[in-house]
Amino acid sequence: QDRIEEDKEKGAIVEERRRVLNEWLAWREREEEELKAERRELGLPESLEDHDEADADGKTNGEGAVVE
Amino acid sequence: MRPILLQGHERSLTQIKYTKDGDILFSCAKDQVICAWFSANGERLGTYHGHQGALWTVDIDPSTTLLASGAADNTVRLWDIRTGKCVKVWNFDTAVKRVDFNEDGTRLLAVTEKRMGFLGTIVVLDVIVDVEAEQSDEKALVITCDESKATVAAWSYLSRYIIAGHEDGSVSQYDGKTGELIYNSPAHEEGMQVTDLQMSSDRTYFITASKDKSAKLHSSRDLTLLKTYLSDTPLNTAAITPKKPFVILGGGQAAMDVTTTGARQGKFEARFYHKVFEDEIGRVKGHFGPLNTVAVDPLGRGYASGGEDGYVRVHAFDRGYFDFGYEVEREVGGAGAGGY
Repeated sequence: QDRIEEDKEKGAIVEERRRVLNEWLAWREREEEELKAERRELGLPESLEDHDEADADGKTNGEGAVVE
Repeated sequence: MRPILLQGHERSLTQIKYTKDGDILFSCAKDQVICAWFSANGERLGTYHGHQGALWTVDIDPSTTLLASGAADNTVRLWDIRTGKCVKVWNFDTAVKRVDFNEDGTRLLAVTEKRMGFLGTIVVLDVIVDVEAEQSDEKALVITCDESKATVAAWSYLSRYIIAGHEDGSVSQYDGKTGELIYNSPAHEEGMQVTDLQMSSDRTYFITASKDKSAKLHSSRDLTLLKTYLSDTPLNTAAITPKKPFVILGGGQAAMDVTTTGARQGKFEARFYHKVFEDEIGRVKGHFGPLNTVAVDPLGRGYASGGEDGYVRVHAFDRGYFDFGYEVEREVGGAGAGGY
């Protein structure tokens, strides 16, 4: 019985973390898109790092690795 | 994480800054000297002499051409990084507590102290990123803080805003061009000074540290509070790590009795928190006094801390640091590797 309770609790924590992480990732994506759009409007390269080392923003392992 | 200990300052550290490529770090202290160090081996590259008072702040333009500094001698100085020559001095009525270059290095903000007869201000100086250039004497913009003086400030993305932290614990967003106050909102406990403010690498969000023992993450766009990190000691500094979703906080009780074993053993700690989940995930001991400043290598390879004890400790992140991740982070891809 205790183990079931424990697992339930653990499940809830993981579920909450998943929610918090997804919320953060969604916010980042919106911010990044907006910043890109604003940079385009000003005639600037899309990313500050475009002319620098390609992985300077640490995205080599994630899905967002390709900046077109 | 075995640190390199940099011994070059005779008094407490006030700020540390890395160059954009992370290869060199600059430190300033109350001993009136700025030091430049190779971050990889701790070798001292040089010193910058000229200030006649405690140094409070340094910053480097993104091309690593010019160094700016602010001090208790009421000046902001601009230095040729290569030669160590001072190429410009701007005079103010009071001490300069913080300088910050915008993302292309053409504008420098300076936060000036409040003193009898003078309100605290945030001044913008136009800078030509060329050591030979004649720099303008004029102040391009002066923002007067008549509510509560600014203690720290930084430029947002695209230099659109100047973000300031105040003595009363609030944060402000000013228009970067006109200096108009757009928002002022309480961020930390009323009357608890904002002690540090550092931007994320793209300057769309920032972290504040406060004497109220907390650090907070806010959006540069509208000052929305994003995250809160709670500690058990007054904080002097906070930094955001690129590559890994962490933040590093530093502080410590200044009044702590130095004869206690804690202080003797160098128990003052840098605290690591998960940026998204807000949990504390680790501590790094070592300083003999409160941490006054923490800076992170912009390429995410390590960090440096500067203490009230006069030491700079440079740490290279190890395998355990890069491997660390929560289960749910692995689900979203890349074993918590994302620089989100």
